[in-house]
Amino acid sequence: MAVAGAPRRSLSERALGFVLLAPAAALLLAIVVYPIAQLVWNSFFDIHLAEPWKGEPFIGLDNYRRALEDPRFWSSLGHTAIYAIVTVPGALLVGLGLALLANMPFRHKWPVRLGLLLPWALPLVFSGLIFRWFFEYRQGIVNDLLTRAGIEPLAWLTDPGLARTSICIAIVWKSSSFMALMLLAGLQTIPRELYEAAEVDGATRWQRFVSITLPMLRPAIFVALIFRTITAIQTFDIPYAMTGGGPGDSTETLAMYIQKTTLDFLDFGYGSALAALMFVVSMVATSSYLRYTRRSAGRD
Amino acid sequence: MVWLAGLIVAVNGFFPALWILFTSLKAETELMAYPISYLPAAPTLANYITAFTEQPLLRFLWNSFVVASLSTALCVLVSACAAYALTRLRVPKRDLIMASLMAVAMFPLISLMVPLFKVMRDLGLLNTYLALILPYAVLSMPVCTLVMASFFQDIPADLEAAAMVDGCSRVGALFRIVVPLSAPGVFTAAILAFVNAWDEFLLALTMMNRVSMRTLSVGITLYQGEFAFPWPLISAALIVAIVPISILIALFQERVVGGLTAGGVKG
Repeated sequence: MAVAGAPRRSLSERALGFVLLAPAAALLLAIVVYPIAQLVWNSFFDIHLAEPWKGEPFIGLDNYRRALEDPRFWSSLGHTAIYAIVTVPGALLVGLGLALLANMPFRHKWPVRLGLLLPWALPLVFSGLIFRWFFEYRQGIVNDLLTRAGIEPLAWLTDPGLARTSICIAIVWKSSSFMALMLLAGLQTIPRELYEAAEVDGATRWQRFVSITLPMLRPAIFVALIFRTITAIQTFDIPYAMTGGGPGDSTETLAMYIQKTTLDFLDFGYGSALAALMFVVSMVATSSYLRYTRRSAGRD
Repeated sequence: MVWLAGLIVAVNGFFPALWILFTSLKAETELMAYPISYLPAAPTLANYITAFTEQPLLRFLWNSFVVASLSTALCVLVSACAAYALTRLRVPKRDLIMASLMAVAMFPLISLMVPLFKVMRDLGLLNTYLALILPYAVLSMPVCTLVMASFFQDIPADLEAAAMVDGCSRVGALFRIVVPLSAPGVFTAAILAFVNAWDEFLLALTMMNRVSMRTLSVGITLYQGEFAFPWPLISAALIVAIVPISILIALFQERVVGGLTAGGVKG
């Protein structure tokens, strides 16, 4: 009986597997796959949501050609790149520092843990708003501290360079705590004996950090870096809340430009082309992540 | 020395929220004073009252609550089924399915928002809860599936087999044995999905343009005037918005950390 039952059971097990995966697959098809296909399709048409009487003529690659000649596309892409280049290593360094501090043997763990969780749980827009308040010219705490130190207050949010700087600071604050949580989890997997053995051998604190902590932390650092890079490409909420893209367009990111193109200018075809370009850029980063995790999974 | 390290981490995390709390308790006149004061000289709750009367803050709270809890329920149900199939049943191409799930988690939201806006508009779903519940459920699906899969994996297969010998069906075993035993995992996944939905901004801004349908994250930005930023008022509204999620996080910190790092490090 067991012999006859085995293949049938595994067959029905397979069927059950597909039944249980079906709802997830259906949701993914409806909310992700179909819209992305629509996005690519729409990017070949001239679609103005505010002027439906004009129809939606097919224009081939014109939307993409237009992007290449659009200075605002390039400048928003440039700002996105600046934020990524500054905040990815920035958040890693700050996050690593926080993780090392949080890894010390405390009597009460919860204030430290909550100190890392709170920035993570705070919505991005709210962080943007709060930092806007910090950097306010007259009543902001940053300029107040500068004045107390005898330095002239700075026009943080109205000078293009300073505005980008303040946005980077806000992003680093917001994203470093999640990074710290991931790195902390990595730190806690390092066996204590390694440090004890190194100490017996007379290794200094710095030597222990460089030759034990950093190498052991490498997988966690890599995953954290890729996560941050992928979210940096999509930067939207914090600059939206802090400057709205201003002064002028000097702090606008690609995501903000896409949002304005589609929802404010209702230039849907062009917005779709820009969003498709963003999709491609982001998928390059994602595939490198997937390749890495598959490689490390194979190593286990 | 150790306590100093803890203090730095705690201050770094708490300071912005604390500063907003101080601001929310200050009267407009105190805020205008120069140089600025740190602690509120005469704490007042007036800003909180104005925050609730000037904009439908209670309505924003309700909208966020409805959208976050319903999308969480949907997400956890769907992800639990998927995680079970992926860990306990012999499904072909398991790794490929997992990898494509992770790829979905990293899709740029803005690329999804543009076509989704048109789809929802054509379906007449703009300004309905459904327009946010469905995408939010999908956005948290990868991390929830991952978290629950790692919990399901730790339940001994014998336990399930025993239940099935006793006449339980596979699905019955899922809900009577696996789900209760992996309750912590299910719960962790639920918290993560809830926080994600509560915090989301871009889709909420896009799908809901009627004030009465705004969620908290978007509603708070409505307090700003054309030129002036009423900071005490915004701070009070921010505190109202932050408190529920902070309590949730504070109560279940260990779960949340475990879930976050399971999704990150193992993924």
